[in-house]
Amino acid sequence: MSHYLFIQSQDPFTEIHTHHQFALIGQLHDAGHQVVVLLVQNGVTPARRDAKSDLFDDIVRRGVTVRADHFALMQREIGDADLKDQIGVADMDLVIDAMLAGHKVIWH
Amino acid sequence: MSDTKTLTFAFMEPPFESERTVTFFRLLDAALERGAGVRVFAYEGAVALAFANQQPHGNAVHDRDSAEEDHPLTKDWIAALQEKARSKGIGFEWINCGLCVDERGVNDVIDGCGRGGPPDLWRYASDAHNTLTIGTR
Repeated sequence: MSHYLFIQSQDPFTEIHTHHQFALIGQLHDAGHQVVVLLVQNGVTPARRDAKSDLFDDIVRRGVTVRADHFALMQREIGDADLKDQIGVADMDLVIDAMLAGHKVIWH
Repeated sequence: MSDTKTLTFAFMEPPFESERTVTFFRLLDAALERGAGVRVFAYEGAVALAFANQQPHGNAVHDRDSAEEDHPLTKDWIAALQEKARSKGIGFEWINCGLCVDERGVNDVIDGCGRGGPPDLWRYASDAHNTLTIGTR
């Protein structure tokens, strides 16, 4: 079992590549690997409570750990209460801690 | 010092074009805050991040002069990270890909940033505890 951290900067509303990116995330999770996703930049937009993205909502439903970058949320005036219930808030420390722990960290 | 882990970052985004640049610098800062040594291999447009001749400008539309506008410059961000690393006694290295520098003409870089090539990226990645490559998209 491996540990993966995906830094998800692309959002499913404007970036076609997210289809494959989220598919990869889901497949690694289903294969039993520990997968964490940190949403950054516009990648935080599907985390809003009423945002509709089958791609994104599916990986959340399957139990992938998803965190949204506090700075990106602030820039877009998305408060903690505006997020979907399963989404936590994090910072760049999450990435550095993963790198220092030897996890596979991948930028999307 | 011998317990310090070094993280390598490969980056290719030019200054002032994308939010990725801000996220990248936040990562470097977070790494130093965690006590990790940092090595950056900058290539393609990112070789301009350390360009010594960057100049701020005012904002005539909003009637602000250069001082009031306080336009951020990436060379100053790099210098600030260098100072943070020095104060913490940890390493901070920055190498620009030489071919990318030549084609863009950004040969004048701030002190502490050097010139190299792909073998340096290989060396940085081989020696690092971990490596993150940030693509342009």
